[in-house]
This record gives sequence, structure tokens and C-alpha cells, in this order.
Amino acid sequence: MGLEKQHELRIAQLNFIGKVLSVFTHELNNHLAIIKESAGLLEDIMKFQKAQDKESLAESLKTIYAVEAQVSKSAWLIKNLNSFGHRMDKPVTSFSINECIEELLILLNRLLNQRRVTAEKRFQENLPLMDGDPAMAQLLIFCLINECLGKIGEEGRIILETGYIKGLIRIIIKPEGSLKAGPVDLFCQEAPPEHIALLLGGSITRDNGGVSVLLPLMQDMG
Amino acid sequence: MKPVKVLIVDDEIEFATTLAERLRLRGYDAKAVYCAEDTFAIAKSDTPDILLLDLRMPGMSGLEILMTVREFAPNIKVILLTGHIDLEEKIEGIRISNFDYLMKPVDINELTEKIDKAVGKQSNVG
Repeated sequence: MGLEKQHELRIAQLNFIGKVLSVFTHELNNHLAIIKESAGLLEDIMKFQKAQDKESLAESLKTIYAVEAQVSKSAWLIKNLNSFGHRMDKPVTSFSINECIEELLILLNRLLNQRRVTAEKRFQENLPLMDGDPAMAQLLIFCLINECLGKIGEEGRIILETGYIKGLIRIIIKPEGSLKAGPVDLFCQEAPPEHIALLLGGSITRDNGGVSVLLPLMQDMG
Repeated sequence: MKPVKVLIVDDEIEFATTLAERLRLRGYDAKAVYCAEDTFAIAKSDTPDILLLDLRMPGMSGLEILMTVREFAPNIKVILLTGHIDLEEKIEGIRISNFDYLMKPVDINELTEKIDKAVGKQSNVG
């Protein structure tokens, strides 16, 4: 791969990371806002209701549980961001494509919610692990999800299907619902999904608004 | 003196309900709704003094909700909620046009100050 192509891919990857971080931090900020309000309510109950009667005690306990649940949820979200960050530790490692997609969907949850679009996972269980660059695979999946979002109207669905066929990992990503006509909305013009798939040693075919990706189990890093 | 009516509009249900409860404890008549449709219904039937509105809502954005509400309640006072720093410039423009805004997470004392200030402005105008 030439220096120029590498540079374009690096820019696409940085844009992708920036997008994931902005969507995710917005969601996390909302979780922190809920935690702050719940803790504030607890403080208010103690401040405004001088005697801790049975009713206010029950309300206080309910609020404490809500704070705990929200902290657990936020910690789980952060765990996924942490894992996303570690995907970039090594250019070649063993990874599960299902886990990569799952993680991406968690981080992009708000982006889909904002568009009232749901993601439906149809993952084949016990897929063999892949050897390659998981961060690049996530960039590819993200570009294809982004394309779907460009085609789909509100209340639509994005189907994400994985499978193992003839020694290759197959990923199908297709929009469902009211679809808009028009050109494909590329996340990064300079690094289209076809180029990224090629870099992973795979290929892409487009059909009826959906995309089918075939990736080898072992990415050729030569 | 009638309590100030506050309508909180935010798709984060826990956030909106908890904030409404905290405002009620402070003597405000606060309600929470989580979508545009309920906002319009309440704003028409029992117009609040203050609309506390999240900018980023699924489907219809906060600003679109605001424009629709303003059609039948032109004097309603609005405080916009945002978690986005990059919207500050836009909000600054809106603020000049008699709006106010708050960043999430919200400071309850700052919020009540803004509500009281907005209501004071309204009564001066009225």
C-alpha cells in the first residue's frame, strides 16, 4: 500500500475514532447527569424531609438503588470503550468478529437512537476467530453502518448478520424499512469500504441496498 | 402566589423524572415528558411558564419542538439543555433571542436561578 493510501486510511480511522468518541461521550454525559440528579434527590429528601419516616426512607433507598444501577451501567459502557481502545494495541491479533460488531453497536447506540433506528443482530454462534487488525474491521463495519443510516428513514432497522462460509467470514449489513433513493453516502470518500475490505484481504458485494462482506480468517499482512 | 409551572422535555426518562421531583421539592409545579407529542399536548392544554428542553431528542430535535410550541405559545420561556460543547456558538445566538441554556449535568441551584430570572422577565413583559 502506497504512502498516500496509508495516509488516507489513517485519516479515515481518526475520523471514525472521533465519531465513536463524540457519540459515546454524549451518552456517558447523560448517564452522569442521571447519577448527579439521583444523588441530588437523595440529598434533597434528607434536607427537605427532616424526619426519616417509612415513606421517605423507602424513597431514599429507591434512589440509592437507582444510583447504583446507573453507575453499573456507566461502568459497563466504559468497559466497552476501553476494549475499543485496546483494539488498536496491535495491528495483528486474534479476535471475534461478533464481539467487534457488538462492541461497536454499544458505542454507537446513541447515534442509532437519535435516528430511531434499531440494530438487529443475527450472529452465527461459535464463529472461528480471525487473525488480523480488529480496529480496521471495526472501521469497515462502521462505514457500512453509516451507509445504511444514510439510506434508511426513521423507525427503520439495520440487520447485521454473520456467518462462516467456505473458510471465509461473511458479514451482511442491510437496511430495512423505508429506504431513500440516491447515491451511497460514504463516511470517507478517500477510503471507501471496498479499499478497507481489500486491506483486510476480503471483498464486498452490494445487492438490493445491502452489503455482503467476505473476509479471510487470516489477514495477509504482506 | 401560584407555583411556577415547569415542563421538562427530555428522552432520558430517569433524568427528567428525577429533576421534576427535585423542582417539586423546591415548590415548583414541575412535570416531565419524554417526547415531542406529549410536549405539544401539555403545552396546549396547560401551558407551562417555563419549558426546559433537551436539544438532542430522537426524531424531532429540541429546536424543532421549540419552534412548534412557539406557534401556539409564543410567550413561553425556554431553557435549553445540552451536553454538547460544540453547540455553544449556536446556543449563544439563540440566547440573544431571549433564550437561556444549561449544560448537562445540571446544577440545581443554577437551574432554579435561571427559572426565577426567566419568570421575572416574563412578568415584567406581561
